[in-house]
Amino acid sequence: MSTSESDLLEEDRKLRVQINEKDLLCINGCGFYGTPQWGNRCSKCWRAHQIAEKRNIDYARNRTLLAFDRFEEKRKLSSDSRSLTLRNIIKKSPSMFTSSESTSELRASPNGTPSRHGRALSPDSSSARVAFTDWLVGNVPTPVVQEVTKMTKFAEHKIHEFDIAADDMSELVQNFYQHLNDRLNHNKFFQNQESVEVQSVMEEVERYLSVVTYNRLFCPTADEEVGDLSLQERIRSLNWVTAGFLETKLDFKRAAVRDSLDEALTECLSINSPRKIDEKLGCIVRCCHRIFDALRNSAAPTSADEFLPVLIYILLKGNPPLLMSNVKYISRYALPHRIMSGESGYFFTNLSCALQFVQDMNHDSLKMAQTEFEAYTSGQIQPPPSAANCGCNQAIASMEQSLSHLEKLELEQKKLADEMEALGKTVAKMEEEIESSYGFLDDYPTKELQDLLEKVDEEEKKTFQVCNLTAQFQKKKNEAPSQVPNNDAVESQGPKEQ
Amino acid sequence: MERATTSASSEGEFRFKVVLLGEGAVGKSSLMLRYVEDKFSPRHVSTIQASFLSKRLDLGDNHVDLDIWDTAGQEKYHALGPIYYRGSHGALLIYDITDKRSFEKVKIWVRELQRALGETAVLIVVGNKLDLESERTVDRTEAIQYAKSVNAEYVETSAKENLGLADLFEKISSLMIDKWEKTREISGRTSQNSSSSNGSRRGIQLVDEQNDAAQRTGKCCK
Repeated sequence: MSTSESDLLEEDRKLRVQINEKDLLCINGCGFYGTPQWGNRCSKCWRAHQIAEKRNIDYARNRTLLAFDRFEEKRKLSSDSRSLTLRNIIKKSPSMFTSSESTSELRASPNGTPSRHGRALSPDSSSARVAFTDWLVGNVPTPVVQEVTKMTKFAEHKIHEFDIAADDMSELVQNFYQHLNDRLNHNKFFQNQESVEVQSVMEEVERYLSVVTYNRLFCPTADEEVGDLSLQERIRSLNWVTAGFLETKLDFKRAAVRDSLDEALTECLSINSPRKIDEKLGCIVRCCHRIFDALRNSAAPTSADEFLPVLIYILLKGNPPLLMSNVKYISRYALPHRIMSGESGYFFTNLSCALQFVQDMNHDSLKMAQTEFEAYTSGQIQPPPSAANCGCNQAIASMEQSLSHLEKLELEQKKLADEMEALGKTVAKMEEEIESSYGFLDDYPTKELQDLLEKVDEEEKKTFQVCNLTAQFQKKKNEAPSQVPNNDAVESQGPKEQ
Repeated sequence: MERATTSASSEGEFRFKVVLLGEGAVGKSSLMLRYVEDKFSPRHVSTIQASFLSKRLDLGDNHVDLDIWDTAGQEKYHALGPIYYRGSHGALLIYDITDKRSFEKVKIWVRELQRALGETAVLIVVGNKLDLESERTVDRTEAIQYAKSVNAEYVETSAKENLGLADLFEKISSLMIDKWEKTREISGRTSQNSSSSNGSRRGIQLVDEQNDAAQRTGKCCK
């Protein structure tokens, strides 16, 4: 730096520009040079300044969000703006282009990008468009296709253009549904046939719109994002509220129950992945079905009395992000029949109830003293471990399971050891027996027998000797006749006498 | 949608939402289970979720799809009631004839319902557990008089013995049809028979027509 500084100084002198070095330096006086674009700050000070400024803005915004009076004011303001916007629609809609120009000038979405984006479609949107058109072409005659497409596209366009409060937008969209629905009901095609219902056309329209306008309609303002975050914060502070406090009849000792609950959690968390409203509702319905599975596996009655506490438990346990926004998105832009009737409507209502309960939860709803509730929520005191609360702690449950496994193993080991001992004993016994029988074999042949054998041996020897003697004798006798042939008779009598 | 809220094309087709309200353990879910049992073989009962049920009824020329919603009856969930009964066409207020307190609870519900839904919903007070007649603590005439005083019907049932259930649901269906026809006569045009917040909607409905005109011109310009 110092070399460049001196270089610059020299250059200054050369150019004879009458600027003090002080003017060039950062206004914070940190010794570095600043630039006019950065408010005469150096890069570091500029960054710090920006952060400080942003903090101020955020702080101010939070304060307005937290202050109820301001909130009321804002509501009033938005309801005022409604009539204004409506007038705008009436007045300016005949010329679509002028109206769009005038209404969309200053809108900026929360992340700062201008809303008046090009009509370039995301892959999701373009595939939704293809699916929508395909469905229409495949199911209804061309004039209807044209009418529906035209109206839907117009609505889509308008949704992107208008900058109005979400509730007003919801009303507009609902009116659009109603209007399109009425028109289709009066259409000859739908009056004369049974195969395609108006309702299915409406469902396709809703599906399409929910995809292509998702960025605009889902969680449209920073306020709602803050609402989501504060809900998550609240649920986090309520993490001590377990199934025991909610008086559920879940039997956490059963693996099937825990598995069903895990699946319910997964479904509940997956609500953020699809854009289509019906798919989001599908997530809720599946989540609720898994909860009923869990109840069934716990052998508890599957009534609403049992179901709602478990749903609340799932919410507290899963703490799904953007839940508020999802619920609002669905309730604002879903077709009425989806959330007012049928299974999806029932479960969605239950989810709203559970959400409401979590938000309003206080010491009364858990039947405990206020101080106690507050102490738990602020984390000052840990709730005492009770059997019911421990029962729903999965770690403890699995530990208990492992312990029982260990116990079983220990028993088996003991049994095995006993068996081994018994086997050792029998082996020893058998060894003894064998030894004893070997001892008998060692004693065999007995003395008597040995004596006998010896005797036999001796006798054999004797006989052998005798035989030998006789043989020798006869040999001699055979040799003798040549010498004494007369002795034949005497000699032959000789052995007989012996 | 149109079947639920408007009079359009489908004549004689109705879709109604009925909520079951009542304290815990008065037999809301067993009442529902028993009603389901008529449809399914008893062996499958345990696999049926007893908190939401859809049933189609034929009443003469009218076909009614009933959505029956069970609600959590515990005291701590009482505040959630409005979310449950919002937009319902009928409500069954169930109490246990052997439990005086559950009957008092019904009165609270009735007051709330009439405040929230006005005269748009059909109310039926249901005394359940008729099989425990000998232990009855809530007098029948008293209950009938009370029902009359709040412009509601009165029915007694037994989920255990399957007494009066089919009649109950048929009764509420025909009453809802009557009410719906009446409101249609009064308003004389397509109106929503269910919910309360209609004023602003109508105002915007006009705008929507304008919007539609705009659509056509918009299309022409294009």
